[in-house]
Amino acid sequence: MKSANYIQESNVKTLLEKMPTIFKWVSFLSVLLLPVIALAAGADTKAMSVEYRDVPGIGSRNLVWIVAQQHLLLAGFVLGVPIFGWVCEIVGWKTKEARYDKLAKEFTKLLTSAYATTALFGGILLFLLIGLYPKLMAYLTDMFFPSFLVYCLLFLAETATLYMYWYGWDYMQGNKKAFHLFLGFLLNLFAIGIMIVPNSWATFQASPVVVADGDAWTRAWMAMQNPTWWPVNIHRLIANVVLGGFIVGAYAGIRYLLAVSREEREHYDWMGYVGNFIGVFGMLPLPFAGYWLMREVYQYNQQMGITLMGGFLAWLFILQAMLIGVLFLGANYYFWMGITYRIPGSENSYKKPIMAMLVVLLLCLGVWMTPHTLVASLAEAQKMGGTHHPLLGVFGVMSAKMTVANIMILVTFMSFIMYWRAGKQETAGWAKAAKAIMNGLLAIAAIAVIVLGVWGYFVPAIIRINYFSVAQVLIVGFIMVTFTPLTALLLKSAKTTTEMVWGKMPIRAGYCLVLNAVMVILLMSLMGYARSSSRVHWHIYGVMRDTSEYAFSPALGYAAAFMSLNTFVYCLLVAFIFWVATLGDKAKAQQAQAAVADAPGGAPAMAGGAPSSGENFESGILENHK
Amino acid sequence: MANQSFTKNVLKKTTIGIITGVILVVVAQQTHFPQIFQIMFFIYAMLGTFVFILLDAPPMKRLEGVKAVGALLVFYILLSGLYIAGASILPQFDPTIEAGKIEKVLKRRKAATEQGKADELIARAKDLNERAKAISKQLASFGGAAKVEVVEGAGAASGAASGDIVALGKEQWELQECYNCHKLFGSGGKKRGPVMDNIGNLMTPEQLKEKILYPKKWKAEGFDKQYKKGKMPDKYRDLMFDEEIDALVAFLASLKDTSVTTPKPIKMY
Repeated sequence: MKSANYIQESNVKTLLEKMPTIFKWVSFLSVLLLPVIALAAGADTKAMSVEYRDVPGIGSRNLVWIVAQQHLLLAGFVLGVPIFGWVCEIVGWKTKEARYDKLAKEFTKLLTSAYATTALFGGILLFLLIGLYPKLMAYLTDMFFPSFLVYCLLFLAETATLYMYWYGWDYMQGNKKAFHLFLGFLLNLFAIGIMIVPNSWATFQASPVVVADGDAWTRAWMAMQNPTWWPVNIHRLIANVVLGGFIVGAYAGIRYLLAVSREEREHYDWMGYVGNFIGVFGMLPLPFAGYWLMREVYQYNQQMGITLMGGFLAWLFILQAMLIGVLFLGANYYFWMGITYRIPGSENSYKKPIMAMLVVLLLCLGVWMTPHTLVASLAEAQKMGGTHHPLLGVFGVMSAKMTVANIMILVTFMSFIMYWRAGKQETAGWAKAAKAIMNGLLAIAAIAVIVLGVWGYFVPAIIRINYFSVAQVLIVGFIMVTFTPLTALLLKSAKTTTEMVWGKMPIRAGYCLVLNAVMVILLMSLMGYARSSSRVHWHIYGVMRDTSEYAFSPALGYAAAFMSLNTFVYCLLVAFIFWVATLGDKAKAQQAQAAVADAPGGAPAMAGGAPSSGENFESGILENHK
Repeated sequence: MANQSFTKNVLKKTTIGIITGVILVVVAQQTHFPQIFQIMFFIYAMLGTFVFILLDAPPMKRLEGVKAVGALLVFYILLSGLYIAGASILPQFDPTIEAGKIEKVLKRRKAATEQGKADELIARAKDLNERAKAISKQLASFGGAAKVEVVEGAGAASGAASGDIVALGKEQWELQECYNCHKLFGSGGKKRGPVMDNIGNLMTPEQLKEKILYPKKWKAEGFDKQYKKGKMPDKYRDLMFDEEIDALVAFLASLKDTSVTTPKPIKMY
């Protein structure tokens, strides 16, 4: 009481101004969560009297759809960029190339504004859900309230770490760099926590585990551990890396398209390369994570799996295959363009392999697109002799899909290896033998993947799923794990025949990067629609029915229009975040350009090329201190 | 020169692409693929052709300022347009069909909660009784065995009612998607739960009800792993109305096909 008297009105303002940003966040969160707590307290009284509210015109479901999608995509960006930034920082630290550290810092700067925008959309979503779906929210609050508290704590920890990580960047250099990297690790750890807690609420809706006994914590914990929780966690974590990488790539692509000076073109060409590399790196294991998720869905509820893959949503997966196919083509095409334009003269030696790779990719895409059950009218099915086509029906099953997914991943990986090796001549005495072994291994791996795929048709599903598919993944993983260090060793002593030139890519490279980002965003939106629609008319599958007028699933064309709208809004938001974050940089533009001008000398460390000789880590630090 | 060679290249690849597309369509027609797939095959061939053309395409002229931004917007609109058009061309399920099914499910629930299914049945029984009494009175005035007929009629009505319950139970079997885990009449899953064709001979209606409400109280022989993992959900006591559970029990109790081996139920506690 006494202390309260000291706080005069005039002092309050001063206090607020001096209040560390973290406390502002706490206050903001408290205000944000107040309605949830209030709702939790009176969940079974007032909230239950109204089950739904509607928004005239747009409709409650559409509004929630847009806001939820924006929040999810922004969250993906906010969680993906720290991974991207941290990896870049480590690369910069290990290779002593300042440009990586600079790039990491550039993107961490975006986080502060992106973080606030994500929280803003999270808040709007929460209010909308409480207002429009009170009964559902009361149930979920009752079920998950303890996890809300954990979420708040994680949010606080993440905020505090982000501020230390960002504001301490220049201070924690040199000897303190290791601690800064540790902060980066913590930032990502908390971010993963922030992702997995709400994931449990969403996955609970699809695969609920309702336990009536036990205290609130036990019930919440049991509900969190539902069958699709971890598959979704892993899938989203990888997808966020992909999103982060490709968004960075798209940003670089747009800046490249708009660049006026040579220095700018060089810098954004290089940045686009790094973004695409990380996006592709994340994309390689993504199909496996998706496979695991679908496997768990089938295990949990066969009917839900059938609804998704063979029922009214089956065509959605044709669309998904098309998007993934375009993404793989786009990512590979960008690598191939890199060979042609960044390493002039080397395109002739890679023309034939590139053609072959393109043919393989297209064939694989064709198989991936073949549905298991062809959606046909009765007359069409009778003509065909059933819902499975007698010829192409064999490509519709998971054995075929897994095989082509693995082959596409192998091709993409080899595109990267080709790009890495372009413009260099191996001088090591063992180079010829090593290359022969690599070629042999690649051929054996490809054959083994195909043989396992074909063999998969003749064994029980359990053997195919538990052994053959896993073996295929391990074979591809083995190729990646052995080829990467072997190529690095080979190129360590290699002679550079053609220097890598940055900033010479044609403008379609910029469009290609934008295309990749748009494909990823559309894919994420499409999968959100799939997950939501797979619950059919249930808010919580088998537990709580959706009795609103919007209980049915919207048709695919209608949904696609919404996804495009969401993608556009998201791109605008990200553009706004980039614009806000770089407002202060304009004055420093000339200084920064001077630093960038020296940067893209040799091949980037991420491509395994020779590190630039003119610049080292310490000089980069000096630059940062300027 | 470069432009000429590129034009030649485009013409050559487009021709090959169109020929490939037409071959795919003809083969698809001959092998009775639905029309939508024939269109898709052609689009697929064109996509491949486009990427092949792009491989050798010369650099385009660099745009600057507003033109560059405008070109980006046009590019996005083009991508979105293609995406929406693609998704709209694909066969669309009719949301009104799903909405109709939902309406059917909810209507019954609303009726059950507002008036009470039991009340409705009692009202119907009372009405029938009144009518039967009126008829028997009428017939009695003529003499004969009207009373017996009315009793038989009542018996028949009771049989029909029990038949209704079994039919309702079968509907519950479908609605609650029991077939996902239990095989019955030769279809459905069998890995998570036992085959049910002869369950009526192995469990009483009371035991069946107990199993549905409290799954842990009973275990099927040979399903130790599934029992331990709690594969049978305990949600039905919250999810289903009493009448629905009774109907499902009646349906299960009617399953007495001894030719199908149904695992023996074991009482756990």
